[in-house]
Amino acid sequence: MRILVIEDEAPLREQVVDRLRVQGYAVDAAADGNAGLYLGKEYPIDVAVVDLGLPGLSGIEVIRGWRQAGLRFPVLILTARGRWQDKVEGLEVGADDYLVKPFHMEELLARLRALVRRAEGWTHAVLQCESIALDTGTQTVTVAGQPVEFTAYEYKLLEYLMLHAGEVVSKTELSEHLYDDDFDRDSNVLEVLVGRLRRKLDPSRALNPVETLRGRGYRFRLRRSA
Amino acid sequence: MLSVSARLLIAASVVLMAFLGLTGLTLDQAFRESALTAMRSRLQAQVYMLLGVAEFDPGEGLVLPDALPEARLSSPGSGLYARVTDADGIIIWRSRSTLGLALPPFPVVQSPGEFHFQAVQGQADSPPLFTLSFTVSWEVLPDTYRRYAFQVAETRQSFAAEVGGFRRSLWGWLLGVAVVLLLAQGAILRWSLKPLRRVAREVMEIEAGQRAELAGPYPKELRALTSNLNALIQHSQAHLERYRNALGDLAHSLKTPLAVLRGVVEKESLPSELSNTVQEQVERMNRTVDYQLQRAAASGRIALAAPVPVAPIARKVMDALAKVYADRCLRFQRHVEEQLVFYGDEGDLLEILGNLTDNACKWARSRVDIRAYPFAAASRRAGLVVEVEDDGPGIPSAKRQLILKRGERADPSVAGHGIGLAVVRDIVEEVYQGTLEIADGALGGACIRVRLRF
Repeated sequence: MRILVIEDEAPLREQVVDRLRVQGYAVDAAADGNAGLYLGKEYPIDVAVVDLGLPGLSGIEVIRGWRQAGLRFPVLILTARGRWQDKVEGLEVGADDYLVKPFHMEELLARLRALVRRAEGWTHAVLQCESIALDTGTQTVTVAGQPVEFTAYEYKLLEYLMLHAGEVVSKTELSEHLYDDDFDRDSNVLEVLVGRLRRKLDPSRALNPVETLRGRGYRFRLRRSA
Repeated sequence: MLSVSARLLIAASVVLMAFLGLTGLTLDQAFRESALTAMRSRLQAQVYMLLGVAEFDPGEGLVLPDALPEARLSSPGSGLYARVTDADGIIIWRSRSTLGLALPPFPVVQSPGEFHFQAVQGQADSPPLFTLSFTVSWEVLPDTYRRYAFQVAETRQSFAAEVGGFRRSLWGWLLGVAVVLLLAQGAILRWSLKPLRRVAREVMEIEAGQRAELAGPYPKELRALTSNLNALIQHSQAHLERYRNALGDLAHSLKTPLAVLRGVVEKESLPSELSNTVQEQVERMNRTVDYQLQRAAASGRIALAAPVPVAPIARKVMDALAKVYADRCLRFQRHVEEQLVFYGDEGDLLEILGNLTDNACKWARSRVDIRAYPFAAASRRAGLVVEVEDDGPGIPSAKRQLILKRGERADPSVAGHGIGLAVVRDIVEEVYQGTLEIADGALGGACIRVRLRF
C-alpha cells in the first residue's frame, strides 16, 4: 500500500512516515501543498494523509486539485482545530475521513486501512475470500479457520492482492504500491515473495489462490464472500 | 413611538391649519368692517339726498316731494326706508316704501349735525335693519330754529347676502389652498425622507444577505451615519475573520507539538511510569486546548449579518458524517423545514450540529435523526430548537451531569461522548442564552435537545 503524507511540521511528518514504513507501507512525503499535489498526481497513491493548515497551497486546495484531475484515492485530513467548518469543508471537497491532532498512531493506521478497504468496496474489516480470511484490524490471516503466520511484506502483498481480488495486478503495480522508489524493479524479489505466500496459504496445492498470468501479472482467484 | 414622517406631517398640518384659520378670520372681519362702512355711507347719502329735497313751508312745516330721486323709497317693501320726525318724536313724513310696515323707533340723536349709525334687531313685524339718524336744526325764520330728525333704514338682507357670499368664496379658497399645501407638504416630506427610507431598506437587504454594505451617495446629514455603519459592518466581519485565523494559528502551533510529543512517547521505549505521565499530561493539555479554543471561536450574533438557513447546514453535516461513518451503514433522517433560518453565526451552528450528530453517530446502532423547528410558533425570530437523536444505548440519568461537566474537568477517564457535548453546552448557554437538555429519545437512545435564542 502506497501512502502519501503531506504535513509541514517536520518532526510530526517524520514520525508518521517512520511509523508507516515500520508497518511495511511504501510512503511518499511532502512538506507543502504544491509538492503534495504533484506527488499525488504523479505516483500510484492508495491513500493520502493531508494536513489542512499547509503553507502555500492549503490542504483543501490540494484535495480539490486531485479530485479535479480525476484522482479518486481516499484522503484523510489532519486538522489542528476540531472546528466543524474545516472538517465539513474538507469532506465536501472530497476527503473521506478526518483526524484531529494530536492523534494516536494506531488510530491513524486503523483509519488508513479502513479507507483503503472501503475504496476497494470492502465494508468490513475482515476480508473474506472463500476459506481465506484476512483481518485488516489485527493484521492476522486464517485459512479455513487456522491462523497462518506471515512476515510484514508477505502480509502487505496478500492484503493488496485480496483488496483487489478478482483483478489482474501487474508486477509493476505491485512493486509501486508495496515498495519505495529505491526498490530494484528488475529483481525477482516479488516472485520469491509470491512463491512463499502460495506455500503458506495453500500447502496442499489444492486451492491455488494466486494465479500467475504470463506477462500480465497476478490475480487473487478466490471470490469475495463479504 | 410616532414615525418621523408622521411627526412632521402632524406638526406641519397643525401650523398650516392655524395659519389659514387665522387668516380667514382676519379677512372675514376686515370685509365685514368695510361692508358696514359702505352701508353707512350709502345711508348717509340717502340722508343728504332727503335733506336736499326737503323744503320748509311756513304753513305746513317741513315738506318732502312725492317723487323722490331714489326710486326704492317710493316702492313699498323695497328694503330702503326713510322718515322724518320733529323734535317731539312725532313722525311728520315717511317714505312710501314703509307702507304696511311698522318701523321700530330709532334711537334719536339730540345734538344736531351728528350721525348715529346702528344695527337694529328684527322684531315681529319688522326685519333686522341698519339705521342711520341725523338731527338737523332748521332755521325756519331768522333766529328761529326747529329740530327735525331724519331717519333712514335699510334691511340687513343685502348686507348679509354680500357678507355670506364673501365668506363662502373666502373659505372655499382657503380650503383649496390648504389641500394644495398639504399635498405639497406631503410630497416634500416624501422627497426629503427618501434617503432615510433608503437606509432602512438597504439595512434590511444587508440583514437578508442581499447586499454587503450601504450604497452611496447619501445626503451629508446622513453620510456620517451611513459611512460609520459601513465601517462597522466591515470591521465586525474582518475582526471575526482575523480572530478566527488567530485561533486557527494558535491551535496549529499548540497541537502539532502535542502530536509530536505523543508520537515520541508511543514510539520510544521509555520507562512506563514516565511514559504514562507524559501521555496523561499530553491528553490533559490537548483537551484543555480543544475545549478552550472551540469555546473561544463561538461568535454569536454578528451585527447586521444575514440569517443562516438551517437545512443546508444540517445536510452538510449529515453528508460529511455519512462519509466518515460509511462502514456503519447508518440511516440519517432530517426533519428541517427549508425556510427555517438561524439568526447567528454559521460556524456556531455547524459546531453545534456537528458535535451533536457526531456523538449520535458514535453511539447509534442504525439510525440518527436531526430535527429543527422554531422555538415559539408565534415568532420565527424567537429562537430555534435543534434535536439530535440516536437509537443507541442512551445516557443513564446519573451520568448526564458528569458528561456535561467534561469540558471543565477535562477528565479522560469518562469514555464515550467527547468534549463535544460540553463545548456545545457552553456555546448554547453562553453565546445564545439557550439550554441543552439530555432526554430519552423515542428511538430508545439519547436525544439531545438544544434551545437557541437570538
